[in-house]
Amino acid sequence: MAARLTAESFMADVIVQVSPAWAVLAPPGLLLFALAGAGLNSALTARSAGRPFLSGASAPLAQVARLLRQRRQVTVAADVLLWRVGTGGLVVVALLKILVIPLGSWTLADLDAGVVWFNTMDVMIWALFWLIGWGANSAHALVGGYRFLSLAVAYELPLMFALTAPAVAARSLRVGDVVAAQQDLWFVIWMPIAFIVFCGSVIGFSSWGPFSAAVGRDIAGGLLTDVSGIDRLLILTGRYAVLTAGAAFAVPLFLGGGAGPLLPAWLWTIVKTALVLAALIAIRHRLPTIRPDRFAEVAWIVVLPVTLLQVLIVAMMAKGS
Amino acid sequence: MGVTAQVARLAATATHVLIVEVPGWGETRMLLEAELDRRGWTSALSPADADLLAICGIPGEELGAVCDRVWDQLPGPRTRVNLTASARIPALLDAAVADLVDDARQRHDAASRSRSSVPEDSPPDAVGHDEHGAHEAAPADADLEDSGADEAGMDHEGMDHEGMDHEGMGHGGMDHEGMGHEGMGHEGMEMLVHGIPLAGGGDDRDGLEMDVLTVPLGPVLSHWPAGLVVECVLQGDVIVSADVRILAAASAPTELKTPMADAPRRRLIRLCDQAVQLLALAGWGSAARSACQLRDAAAGGVVIADQAGALDRLRRRVERSVALRWSLKGLTVDVASGGTDALAMSGNEPSGDIRLRLIEWLREATDLADTGQFRVQPLTDAQAAQESQNRLAALPELLRGTDLATARLLVAGLGLDTAVVASYEVSPRHAGHGDEPHGRASHGGEADGGVVHG
Repeated sequence: MAARLTAESFMADVIVQVSPAWAVLAPPGLLLFALAGAGLNSALTARSAGRPFLSGASAPLAQVARLLRQRRQVTVAADVLLWRVGTGGLVVVALLKILVIPLGSWTLADLDAGVVWFNTMDVMIWALFWLIGWGANSAHALVGGYRFLSLAVAYELPLMFALTAPAVAARSLRVGDVVAAQQDLWFVIWMPIAFIVFCGSVIGFSSWGPFSAAVGRDIAGGLLTDVSGIDRLLILTGRYAVLTAGAAFAVPLFLGGGAGPLLPAWLWTIVKTALVLAALIAIRHRLPTIRPDRFAEVAWIVVLPVTLLQVLIVAMMAKGS
Repeated sequence: MGVTAQVARLAATATHVLIVEVPGWGETRMLLEAELDRRGWTSALSPADADLLAICGIPGEELGAVCDRVWDQLPGPRTRVNLTASARIPALLDAAVADLVDDARQRHDAASRSRSSVPEDSPPDAVGHDEHGAHEAAPADADLEDSGADEAGMDHEGMDHEGMDHEGMGHGGMDHEGMGHEGMGHEGMEMLVHGIPLAGGGDDRDGLEMDVLTVPLGPVLSHWPAGLVVECVLQGDVIVSADVRILAAASAPTELKTPMADAPRRRLIRLCDQAVQLLALAGWGSAARSACQLRDAAAGGVVIADQAGALDRLRRRVERSVALRWSLKGLTVDVASGGTDALAMSGNEPSGDIRLRLIEWLREATDLADTGQFRVQPLTDAQAAQESQNRLAALPELLRGTDLATARLLVAGLGLDTAVVASYEVSPRHAGHGDEPHGRASHGGEADGGVVHG
């Protein structure tokens, strides 16, 4: 910590851990982002269907009302306990993820290994999606679960190394240190590949857009085939929430945290998060779904080596400086 | 109460509709989809996601029974409509909304469903028994196995509502036990869990032992040919073997639904619809929506010549997409060699690679829009039926050894018209005369040379 408090970095980038009481603001904040993301998504859908852009924006509220009103249903011989763990878990994991993300200079948990914490949480998503697929005891949901796992095997290692790059450059796994290390130059500039791989993986662990084969139309909704009512609402909210958490983590990791002119640091964090989230959501409307079996090949033969190369370059530059 | 009603109203603005298309009623389905689009509603992918069950057409006995079973799987609040006359679609949907937001009525529905867990009263029971009886005489009982569990095609186990588990168990259990005791079967020794036989084991394509499941695909499945049922034996998501049949309509549709629907326009609508299904299955929502808008505009009666530009742009977009090329790489439907006849070759349909087929569909649609007439003489009704019949016959072989994603894309890539086959089966060697083939051609969309006036 002493090294951090040297002259060039004493300004706004000292990350302070705030009282845990502030954690009560985390869920509403996250849910607001998730709702805004869902609004943008349905607005884009409405526009491409030829309806007014804004008519779609309120659709998520109608969806929430619909799902709250709908009866929850269980399939025959469902593994109800594990199923519920999966459906409810996504929102929880998203919340645990944002604990280590600093809002400007305030953070809820200034962990020594914040980057690893984030990585741990996204590995938990493997289990959650698998449980959702398993619990329903139905073929399409199970296929969805398999699909998610095969996708996860493809994106997880590149993601780990993409997370490693900023940590190597900052010589610390503490998120605050990573932010401080970007005082002069945002990491997105000199490690663009790590940034792109990270964003792709966020889309992957949210089962979103090009990586949404696990909830594909060809398997009648896959993981979502048999869920209804509150369970469905939790899963859909959870997907937007982990997408938001991923977008928010890109900010301290690659986009300089709260750094920026005029606006206060906390507001910059929010603005940057919103922009990354909007970009991730817009991607869905541009690309077809990529089949996990096809993607695995590219992930292992191209993406992983390229990411490793990125880490190597970062390590050499960090050593040199 | 005011708040509840408002929530219900709000919820109804995002109604999800599960569409069941009866073979021959494709145009009704498309008109319904266009209406959903106008309202900002969504078509549901599974019964669990649906508020409204919309049956397009008059289903035959077996398909009707499937609809009833699917109806049981809607979580509720729920309502159902039967759409047979296109002009009434908006009115029927409005009535459905009124039904959905009517709390008293929905409560009553929910209560009556909970009560039906008592074994003695239950219409589904009767359906189950009927089917059972009907099949008893039949020597081939492969499909009987699933009629006990679930024919809906969404999941093999059948589904139940909280508090209704006993009924579900009873059903499955009874049916399967019945089979065993009557000595029809093949599974007297199988263990049942909640009335569902445990998955058996078997060697997969790599020689490893893996669970074997029997899963019917269809007939209630989105982006799937109407009435088609493919009974798949699955290991993981790989189809080990498949059996194909079609659940027919009760009667051929008599109403000519699309105004001004000349043969080129019908062909164009059908081509766009095929593109919609394939693009949607490939997970490219925005391109599918574009194709859908073009389809609906053509069905709505715009001057098709105006659409040539947009169709051409869509084709170029599809052609350029690297991701689509990648996802569809190596998927071919070798229709020509699968069928034994030369008809598949003589038609204007390309064979082979499904991405090229998709592009060719869009190219042909552009051409039709541009010139307003066929470049190649279209197949006659009987030829179209024969061609579809051949493709259907080749389907089990085509699907064997593919995974579900591939299988769905291949079926969509075939562009099967089940309407002509279904009616063909009812009256084999029907060479196309009188009213019936006329109606068929107009709904199946495979244009009939005899009807063309251009």
